[in-house]
Amino acid sequence: MKKHLLFTIITLCTVATACNKILNPASPNAVAPGDIFTSTAGLLEARTGMYATLETKAYYGGIFPLLAECYTDNGTCGGYNTVDLNDITYRAVQTTNLYVDGMYTAMYNSIYTANTILENADKVPNADPTLVDNIKGEAYFVRALAEFDLLRMYGQHWDNSSAFGISLDTSNTNPTVPIARSTVAASYAQIISDLNQAASKINTYNGNMYASASAAKALLARVYLYQGDNDHAAAMATEVINDNNFGLYNANTFTSLYTQKNTSESVFELVFSPQNQSYYNILTFVRTNATISDVFFVASANLDTLFINRPGDMRSKLVDYSDVDNDISIQPNGRSQKYRGETAKDNSAYAIRLAEVYLIRAEALGRTGGGLADLNTLRENRGLADLTDADVPDNSTYLTAILDERRAELNFEGHRLFDLARTHNVENVLGSGVQPIMPIPNREITVANGVVAQNPGY
Amino acid sequence: MNQKLLRWLVWLCAGLFLCTNAQGQNSPIMIKGKVTDKTGTPLAGATVLVKGKTDATQTTADGTFQLTVHSAAGTLVFSNVGFANKEVAYSGGNTNITVQMDETISVLNDVILTGYIKQKKSDITGAISSIRNKDFKDQPLSNLAQSIEGKVAGLQVTTPSGTPGAGLLVSIRGSNNPLYVVDGIPMLSESNSSLATSYTTDGTVTGQGQNISSISDINPDDIESMEILKDASAASIYGARAANGVVLITTKRGKNGKTDFSFDSYTGIQQVSRKMPFLSSTQLVNLEQDAQKQDLDLYNNNPSVFDSLLNANGVTGFDPSMLTNPLPSSWQSGVNTNWLNQVLHTAPITNIELSARGGNDKTRFFMSGDYFDQTGIVIQNSYKRGSFRVNVDNKVNSRVSIGAGLSFTYGKNRRSFNDDAYTGIVTNAIGASPLMPVYNSDGSYSDYTQYQALWLSDNPVKSAHAIIPITTNYRLIGNVFTDIDLLKNLKYHGSFSTDYTNLTDDQYFDAITSDASGVGGKAFKNFYNNITWIQENTLTYQTNFAKNNSLTVLGGFSMQNSTPQGYGLMGTGFPSGAGLNDISNAVSIFKMPVDPSKNVPVGIVSYFTRILYSFKERYLLSVNAREDGSSLFAPSNRWGFFPGMSAGWLLTKEKFLDHSDVLTSLKLRFSYGELGDLSNNAPFGYRTNYTPASYNGQVGLRPYNLGNPDITWQRNKMVNLGVDVELWKGKISGSIEVYKGNQTKLLTQAPLPSTSGYAAYTVNAGNVENKGIELGISAYPVRNKNFTWTTSFNISYNKNTIQSLYSDEQLLSAYNDLFPTHILKVGESVGSMWGYKFLGINKQTGLPSFSDNLQVLGKAAPDVFGGWSNDFRYKNWDLNIATQFSFGNKVYNLIQAEYLTGGWADGGFDGNNQLVQVFANNASLVDTRWKKAGDASNLPRASVLFNYYQQQSSQFVQNASFFKIKTINLGYNFKPKKPVVYSSLRLYLQVQNLLTVTKYYGFDPEVSSNGGGAPQTAGVDYAAYPQARVFMFGVALNF
Repeated sequence: MKKHLLFTIITLCTVATACNKILNPASPNAVAPGDIFTSTAGLLEARTGMYATLETKAYYGGIFPLLAECYTDNGTCGGYNTVDLNDITYRAVQTTNLYVDGMYTAMYNSIYTANTILENADKVPNADPTLVDNIKGEAYFVRALAEFDLLRMYGQHWDNSSAFGISLDTSNTNPTVPIARSTVAASYAQIISDLNQAASKINTYNGNMYASASAAKALLARVYLYQGDNDHAAAMATEVINDNNFGLYNANTFTSLYTQKNTSESVFELVFSPQNQSYYNILTFVRTNATISDVFFVASANLDTLFINRPGDMRSKLVDYSDVDNDISIQPNGRSQKYRGETAKDNSAYAIRLAEVYLIRAEALGRTGGGLADLNTLRENRGLADLTDADVPDNSTYLTAILDERRAELNFEGHRLFDLARTHNVENVLGSGVQPIMPIPNREITVANGVVAQNPGY
Repeated sequence: MNQKLLRWLVWLCAGLFLCTNAQGQNSPIMIKGKVTDKTGTPLAGATVLVKGKTDATQTTADGTFQLTVHSAAGTLVFSNVGFANKEVAYSGGNTNITVQMDETISVLNDVILTGYIKQKKSDITGAISSIRNKDFKDQPLSNLAQSIEGKVAGLQVTTPSGTPGAGLLVSIRGSNNPLYVVDGIPMLSESNSSLATSYTTDGTVTGQGQNISSISDINPDDIESMEILKDASAASIYGARAANGVVLITTKRGKNGKTDFSFDSYTGIQQVSRKMPFLSSTQLVNLEQDAQKQDLDLYNNNPSVFDSLLNANGVTGFDPSMLTNPLPSSWQSGVNTNWLNQVLHTAPITNIELSARGGNDKTRFFMSGDYFDQTGIVIQNSYKRGSFRVNVDNKVNSRVSIGAGLSFTYGKNRRSFNDDAYTGIVTNAIGASPLMPVYNSDGSYSDYTQYQALWLSDNPVKSAHAIIPITTNYRLIGNVFTDIDLLKNLKYHGSFSTDYTNLTDDQYFDAITSDASGVGGKAFKNFYNNITWIQENTLTYQTNFAKNNSLTVLGGFSMQNSTPQGYGLMGTGFPSGAGLNDISNAVSIFKMPVDPSKNVPVGIVSYFTRILYSFKERYLLSVNAREDGSSLFAPSNRWGFFPGMSAGWLLTKEKFLDHSDVLTSLKLRFSYGELGDLSNNAPFGYRTNYTPASYNGQVGLRPYNLGNPDITWQRNKMVNLGVDVELWKGKISGSIEVYKGNQTKLLTQAPLPSTSGYAAYTVNAGNVENKGIELGISAYPVRNKNFTWTTSFNISYNKNTIQSLYSDEQLLSAYNDLFPTHILKVGESVGSMWGYKFLGINKQTGLPSFSDNLQVLGKAAPDVFGGWSNDFRYKNWDLNIATQFSFGNKVYNLIQAEYLTGGWADGGFDGNNQLVQVFANNASLVDTRWKKAGDASNLPRASVLFNYYQQQSSQFVQNASFFKIKTINLGYNFKPKKPVVYSSLRLYLQVQNLLTVTKYYGFDPEVSSNGGGAPQTAGVDYAAYPQARVFMFGVALNF
């Protein structure tokens, strides 16, 4: 009897242990958040993961910058029966558009990730306070970058008095509760506050693949320019231009910006590798004999016209309108040459470049305030003669020159739509009735159940 | 009822029953005897058991038996398939009982498996259908699911494509993919081959393709019987994962007597069962000329008609010369390629199989080996499967028996690339221009871009040869078990089983393919392996008491664990033309991302009980309960309790109906049950997860999902009312079932506000109702010495309605880069198609019109479906005809939009503002288009410049109701007078897919390009692999 009892007990214990084990498996490739912010190594890994969120296909992995181009006169995108991409080209975007929806979520995913770091970094035991500060600064930067990208893509960023700002998400406490949109002014205030935090907290320059104080200032310069605060924009731009880490490439070397990484022209870029590819090459090149039915993003005939009217501009080399194929071609469209490298597919995403900072200062200082000198600095480095006062006799021609210069320099890098919108040129250039921003995704509107307002016009 | 209270009550009862019945045993006595049929021929394999007890044995080859019994007196029950049960009383040791059994056609005494317990059919109170080996053994099957196709009411088997080796879609009462339990081992039902998915040219997965179902690896001829547990009370004993019904499969086991060998083989040819006619090159030229003429007419009528179209293309100023220019000279080349003939061919199919079964009183065995070789009707495609099985049973002593089963399968599927989606070989062949030659004059593949419609991705013949996708699969399923008579009436059954899968997907793209031209050839390699083990213990107590009461109580415990592992590689840069296709030859190799929900071990722990009670064999009651714990849920929400009960009343045992010669059996049944489902839940969905991510060469961790700790079991409930009738001792028998099922607390992806960082997370929400009626009848209209006619008919009606959703009107697409093709909407059926309503063609202008609003256009599931089969036997001849029908189902014929373009040139304009003349070929159906004012047609006028079709509309949602003659099988039986060399020989001819009557325009109305496994987006046709008509000749020899 004793033997039986012992046997029974052993059996029951074994079974109970086995049950417990099979009901509580460990995941080989996922960890719970509580297991991350427990050491400095974990904190550093969360930081690396935060940059990775910016690299998703929907965001800086490809779609976000290219969509801001192909919605405009710079490009066209689409493919056979890919309705949602064709709608972007037609500038008639539905609220259910997959790309618009994916981008919106991807940006908030970066914000969510930055928030987890901001909420947990101080709890990491025995961490070096300088490092914690630096990483928190980077998180502020990433949050501001995503907030501003949301504001540019989905909010009335050109109008400080507008109610159509963005949903400001600064806490992960109740993630499933929808957040009402703030005003544009409040959105700008949050972005500027986050960037100021970043600029003051980031204490080490780790290269331009990481957020730096200068990157924060460069982004601040852009934010101020969008907001119309030219004085601050110019001041911030000056700080970046004076930073020895950065310098412009010249007319002979600047095309290597698109074959190299981490050049001195880059203030903040997201780097990719063959193991962690970006989608720029796939989306803009597809394959040698691609036809317009392939899903891709091509340069429009209108951009060709811009360069035809700018003789000597070396940047025309970065768009190819020649008919490379036999019968089927994508003409009159062409291909951007900024994202070649069919094998490695590791083209960087330039979040902000020194050339843009010069252009920001040129615009902020104005024609008579010294801006023309900045504009000419860039032109000289791109093989063009200086513009004289006679070339730009008034502010309007000067602004046109700036916008053309921005188009020539920054095409296919995600600026055109925002430049047109902030200068109130969308209807002039893209046609009447064209909306200057994307709709808030239908899913968001439905789930929020009245809390989140749709943009006017959608 | 209070769940907790009920839960404890049931466990308490079960425990009490098991504990209080430990009685002493009487000393054993021996009974011997012999069993024969009416003519005195010995019956081998007949079961002899003591009524109400567990003592049982089988007769040997000479019909004799020996049985050790533990009660001094009682009743022996003799049973054998095809014979009426016979009861003989005994008292003390009787050594010479001779029993003559009478043949019967009634199936009421058949013993069928109902989940851990075997029951007589007449005692069953749930909705259970049963299929025996004899019901399908005469027809060769390549897939197990074919054996139940059209045979069982409420069960719908569809063939979503003709892909060799692909699974059939089995749906029980509107729920897809039941749980298969083979000899007690639950099979994993998901497809593990990554080649089932569809890709775009940049490698992005766009949708699901055909599944390789979990039972594809099982040789259909090894099956002895199958039971389909349809209602929730019957299935609930399998609690977890039984939510879509259960199919219990029992493989053949050995039997007493001399070793019987059987050799089965068939060979046949397959060809496409329905071919769509396409235009020849001359006809295509005529179409384009008409298209030009029609556009010119429009232009002459209104010269600004094309301006808006041109502006959108960046062209200014329309030059009508583009409509009068002659077609390019290549259009007179005389080339006339029939592309479907180029990619489809007549292909052989062969199966060879040898099995042996035998044994003696102590040890019995069954073993079989099978080799199946099918060449696909699409060129270069083939499927080979080899398998063997061994089942052994041994009786250790009068109280202990042990057994084991083992099967091994090897499968090699050389698939047809993207066989169910765009960029696939058949899809490309459908639209390819007849003006395009297959090869250039130098023997190289012709360049498709010069001829084809722009949506096509490559020369289809080139794709077939230069893209090589191969799935190789090894599967080992084994179990060991023991049965022990612990005490009088108390039995223990314990088993340990494993199911091991090792699968490799190779996909190679030669550098000459458009998919890999930029990278010098590329290859994918995916490895997947999984081991599932399951340990089960049951105790069964069976007793009769107070004369007319019979009680069976079963208590059980089971543990199950699966450990899947999968990872993939991509390589680029291969030595072209060297035939070195393996990824190890690649210049660069990358790892493919691993989804964090993958590779996670999954465990289920269950306690269960069944209590069967009958009074006077006429009042029947069954209670089931199961407590399941799953690792997929948070510890606090892990356990689910799933009760079920059913009751039956056998009216014909009552005095007022007893002894009727006409109504020999009438039973009323009622059941209610609840089931748990977790199939839509991923591991660790209950918590927020961080997953590896890299940046700048460093590895980090990023958030992957938002966890919902509250998620728990999906709960499916079903009420069933049934009537079983048998007339004239089985001459006609049938059942009617009425049911209503609700899937509640659906595990579903609920949309989130993006400010959460995510688009969706898993919740329990929603309610989907299935209501239906099923009728099944079998009859023997003629039954005499020379001629027998057996007929069986079943028809089912099912209505699926969404009662509530987490958020209404969710749009879904069968392909994630396409417009929404389906909608989930309260009040509509799951799988409702969504689009604009096509309002017809204007007789005067030839232009189509569409509704302004998107609306529901139909649904993939049929209203009514069923089958009718007839079996005729005349002397040595037999003939079987099986048919299947389905009404009310629609198919979204997405591919048709691509081959009814009406002459539209989708190439746009070239640099000189001239039209790029590239056209899709059209189906011959295009000849019925509108041609001149006054024509009544469903197809718009031809046009070079405009595409008048609207793919997202009811123009392409078609009625796919059908009636099919699935198989006709004619056999001749040689029966030797003295079985010296062989005991029986049957030669047969069979035709599969002989006839399909349907209005659907496409290869097959049963189509579901994405496999149909996801009912939300079922019923789309993107040129799925066509089905084959098969003519075969076979031999079945027993010796």
